[in-house]
This record gives sequence, C-alpha cells and structure tokens, in this order.
Amino acid sequence: MTEAVVEAIIHIAQILLFPGFLFVIGLAFAYEWIDRKFYAKLQNRVGPLYTGPRGFLQPFADFVKLMAKEDIVPLAADKLLFNLSPNVAFALMLTAVLLLPISSLAGVLSFSGDLILAVALMTFFCIIVFLSGMCSTNRFSAVGAERAVFQLLGYEIPMMLAIVGVALGANSLRIADIVGRQAENLWFIFGPQAIGFGIYAIAVQAELERIPFDIPEAEQEIVAGWLTEFSGRKLAFFRLSRDIELVFVAGLAAALYLGGPLGPVLPGLEPLLYTIYFIVKTIFVLIVLSTVRALFARLRIDQMVSFSWKYLIPLSVLQLLLVRLVV
Amino acid sequence: MSKFEVPVGPQHPALKEPESFTFVVDGEHIVEVRPRIGYNHRGVEKAAESRTYIQNLYLMERICGICSVAHTTCYAQNVEYLYEKEIPPRAEYIRVIINELNRIHSHLLWLGVAGHEIGFDTLFMYVWRDREHVMDVIEAITGNRVNYAINTIGGVRRDLTNEAIAKARKVLDILEERTKYYRRVAAAEPTLISRVKGIGILKPNDAVRLCAVGPTLRASAIKSDVRKDDPYSAYEEIPFNAVSHDMCDVFSRVLVRVDETLESVNIIRYCLDHLPGGPVRIKLPRSPPAGESVSKVEAPRGEDIHYVRSDGTERPARYKVRAPTLGNIPAVCDMLTSKADYTVNIGDIPIVLASIDPCFSCTDRAIKFVDPRKQKEWIWSHDQLDRYSRRKANP
Repeated sequence: MTEAVVEAIIHIAQILLFPGFLFVIGLAFAYEWIDRKFYAKLQNRVGPLYTGPRGFLQPFADFVKLMAKEDIVPLAADKLLFNLSPNVAFALMLTAVLLLPISSLAGVLSFSGDLILAVALMTFFCIIVFLSGMCSTNRFSAVGAERAVFQLLGYEIPMMLAIVGVALGANSLRIADIVGRQAENLWFIFGPQAIGFGIYAIAVQAELERIPFDIPEAEQEIVAGWLTEFSGRKLAFFRLSRDIELVFVAGLAAALYLGGPLGPVLPGLEPLLYTIYFIVKTIFVLIVLSTVRALFARLRIDQMVSFSWKYLIPLSVLQLLLVRLVV
Repeated sequence: MSKFEVPVGPQHPALKEPESFTFVVDGEHIVEVRPRIGYNHRGVEKAAESRTYIQNLYLMERICGICSVAHTTCYAQNVEYLYEKEIPPRAEYIRVIINELNRIHSHLLWLGVAGHEIGFDTLFMYVWRDREHVMDVIEAITGNRVNYAINTIGGVRRDLTNEAIAKARKVLDILEERTKYYRRVAAAEPTLISRVKGIGILKPNDAVRLCAVGPTLRASAIKSDVRKDDPYSAYEEIPFNAVSHDMCDVFSRVLVRVDETLESVNIIRYCLDHLPGGPVRIKLPRSPPAGESVSKVEAPRGEDIHYVRSDGTERPARYKVRAPTLGNIPAVCDMLTSKADYTVNIGDIPIVLASIDPCFSCTDRAIKFVDPRKQKEWIWSHDQLDRYSRRKANP
C-alpha cells in the first residue's frame, strides 16, 4: 500500500517537477534566451542584456509583463474559442514534452506508438493556430490562419516522412525503442538518416513559424497574423507554448537523430548525466535552427509550398528508400 | 474565398509613416488598390511663408529626416537663383560631397529596410551597421548626423578640414568594399532573389505615363537623372554615369540603388581630388529681389522640386515643395495591381511599397479638402486659406 502511494507521488513529481512541467518551462525560457542571444550575435547585435546576468531573465520578464497587461477580447470574436485556445495550446505542448526522454531512456509517458501522438500533437497545435486566427474575426488574423493551414500542407508531409524513416530504422513507433536502438548502434544522424535530420530541421522551422517560414505571422505583411488580436495573458501563454514547442522539437530531434539522452555515463549518476546530455544535444539543435533563421529572407506562402513539394518531399522519399536499403 | 478588403495603414508595421492603402484581395491575390494620402499634412509651405529666408533653411532641413540636405540644397539654390548670383566653386563642391554622402546613407538605409520588409533581418542589421560609417563622416564634416545644417544662402556654413577629408577617404574605401559585398549577396542569395525578382513590375511606358521619378524610374530602363539632364551645383564638371537597369521589378530597383551608391563613392572621390580653393560663401542682402524661380535637385528618392515667389520682402510670398514620393505614388499603385500577365500577393505588399523608398511625411501637401461624411469636396484659394487660418471670416 505505502509503496503504491510512494510510487504515485514520485510519478506525480515526475510530471509536475522533474523532468516534467516545471523543468521544461524553465528550459523553455532558457532556450528562448539562447535563441535570441545567438540570433543577435549572428546579426552583430547584443540581444537581451539588462534583466538578469547577460539578460538571461528577459524571456521570463517578458512573460510576467504580458501577464500583467490588459487582456482585450474583440467584441465580434467567438468568446469561448478565443478564451480557450491559449489554454489548449499550452496544454498540448505540456503533454507533448512528457513524451520526451530527458532524464532516462524513456519519457515520463512512454507507450507503444507514442511517436504518432508526438506528431499528432504538433499538428493539433497548428489547428489551434487556425481556429484562434479565425475566431478573432480580424482580417489579418484570417489571412494568417489561412496561411498557417496552407503551410501545414507544405511542411507536414516531408516532416512525417522523415520521422517514418526513423521509425523504419528502429523498427518501432515508440520513442524509447528508437533511443534504445541508437544505444546499440550508431546514432541515426550518422547514416542515411542525416537527410531526414536536414528535412526535419527545415520543416520544424515552419512548424515553429520562424524565418524563412514565419509566413503566418509575417509582421510586415499581416501585422502579427493569427496572433494579432491576442493580448495580455493569452499572448503570454501562446508565447510560452511556442517556447515549449521549441524545447519539444529540439528534444524530439535529439531523441530521433542524436541518440536522445545517451552518452558515456557513470553508474549511479545516470539521471543527472542523461539530463546534461539531453540539454547539450538540444542546444546543438537549437543553434542549427537559429542559424537557419538568420540566413534567409522570408518566403512567400506559394513559394514555401512549392519549395516543399518540389524539393523536401522528393528528398524525404529518397531518404526512405535509402533507409530501406541499409536496414 | 470571397473578396475582402485588407487595410494597410494609416497604422501598419510595413509603413513607417502614416498613409493608407486599402487592398481588395481575393485570397492572397490583390485585385485593386485604393491609396489615400494626406494623413501627415504639416503645413510646411504656410510655415515657410511666415518665416524669413534664413529661418526657412532650418524648416527645409526638417521636411525630410533622411534626404534633409537635398531639400536645403534645393531651397538655397532656389533663393540664389532669385539673387541671380553664383556661389563660390568650393561651396558647390562641398554641397555635392554632402549630397552624395547623404545619398549613400539614404540608399544603405533603404537596402536595410528592404531586407527587413522581406523578413531578412540579418541584412537589415548588417547594412545599418555599415551605414554608421557614413553617418560618422557626415558628422565629422558638418557636426551633425541627421540634419546637417551645412547649406546656407550663398554657400555652405563650414569648410572641409584636412582631418575630415582624410576620414572621408578612409571611410569611402570601407563603404565601397561593403557595398560591393552587398551587391554580391543580392545577386546570389536565393530567398532574397525569389522575393524581389519579377515582383512589382513597372513597364517603361507606364513609368513615364505615371510620372515616376528617381531610382524607381531608372529601374524601369529610363535614364533620367536631374544631375545629368539639368545639372546643378558642380555636377556638370563631374564625370559620372546615370545608373539604370531594365528588369523593371523590385530587383532592378535594388540594383539601381546599390550601383548608385558605388557611383556616389566615385563622385565624392573625384570631388575630394579636385576640390577648388577659395571662400565657401558669399554675403547676400537680407531680402532677395522680387521674382520667382524653380529649382530641381536629384534627391536620393528622385526629383525634388521647389518653387519660390518673392515680393522683395524678407519672407517668401509663396513657397511650394514637391517631394519625390508624390511622383511615385501612382506608379506604386500600378505595381500593386494584379494584371493579366502577373499577380500580386499580399506577401508582396511591403516590399513593393518599400521599393519606391517612400517618404510619406515629406509628401503630404493639402490640395483638396474632402468631407467624407457630407460627400463634399472643395478647393480653397490662397487668400481663402489665409483668411481661414486667421479665422477672420468664413471663406
């Protein structure tokens, strides 16, 4: 009886504290800071500077500031959807990070087919984007929402094909098994899956709506796109969900291609060392993503979709074939 | 999806100044554009009439925050035409140097803004960093970074010092190298090219018909440059080329501006090498003789026209400014309308609007009064306006 209670408490602590919500939210703020700082360095700027050491607390300060701001709901908006969508987006992303292997070889939640859930949650997020853009009844939001779904048609298929390549390589749809497979053999990035990693890195740029694919919220064209009408707490939660999504896609890339939390370990210190390896690898992915963001101009929506269908999808099919030949 | 209107402006992130363009869109394609100008009427002309000629120098400097020196050059020249006096050659050369430095600063600024409008913020940050060099040189020569206050009626207010010349030569080398680098980037970066090539087409005959000016016109394969066609200051003596490209799109406008920057570097080098000696200004009486005159200057954005009428007093009787952006507004509306052979997307709005290098605040002059609620339009004469402004009687 007591054992069961202790186990339940540990499990709840895993979900709420480490490596669950609290840890990931902290990581999300830290990664936003790294992203902004590195992006600024590439552009010959200094980036956040004043809040905390080297501006480390700036993303958190932004969050707190937004929480304190006036929260405006447009008169014509669909109130229920408008109020609900930031919460749903936040909940989706928090659920998604539980699937990531951080301090052990399996995530807090781990079951057969969890890879499918991970991909589905990312797609759900895009649908939330579409709904929140449409329900805010702003013309810029409507255009942004329309673009978000159009963009989904472009990047989702190559991303899924790349992930299918990994699943084929490991012969499993369970993230823990994929990591386990990489523990026995080489990491997937060393081999034909490297193409998949490249495709994944480009596609998530669209998933995260970052340059060159920040089309649904292109500031100069459609103000803030689907986000235009959101302010105060709702905007804060959307931004935080985006940051958590950044952690999630980087973590998923690490798990699928870079061996997840694997690395040389000392007995007894596994959870700590695994967490450190996880952080190092996700920061590597993050830096790749930030570099892509600094290198290009924003594409137009039609150019994005045609780029994706002309180059990304054939490449991902090629990658699948190569994986089949090797395995 | 059915057609609906997307309002760009008066407040919109793509426009740094208030101006309104209403786009009728069908999905992502633009069907129609309706411009509405006049949000930023500042009463410059009226203010000019109530100030003396010397005071007006400071007013003209502030018509535009970017091409400030083009407006004072145009103004000072205009008043000097009234006196029918030539200014010393050294002053003419210094004016050319400052005007060309200003052109470099303006074109680099534009290149950065253009990068920003297509979401290429890295280009924006890099170009603006390099633009600091030219700002520093201008500060070394004139003492100011934005409103240089170098021109005066009858010449320039400051002579070039040897240190300033040495600094200018050093910076010109840096600028030339960096501008050539950006030219290579512009010609090679695939995402940048895909956003500017074939976008915002303005055919040469349309450009002429719609009275486009400056780099916008020259990018449509028409070599028209006030500095060449109707030389003022020392431009007649200086060898340079009027730059033009024939692709008629935004890419062409990028190339025209980058090449003009390089041309300006050469003009400044020539001026520094051939700087005549002598005084930099002549004394002129306080009031010019009665008469009228028109002066034209090739500002970084195109042809800037000033008109002055003097009645022999110390204040102008009438002053009129036509800033270059006004000439380009019909052209930009043409570029933004989808035609049979090409479509314009919502995503193209910012870069096409930016491609004329708009400066809306400098442009707005009251022409016609419109009361949209009563559906009334009327024009007031100068006297009626004058009476209205003094609230004497209902005009």
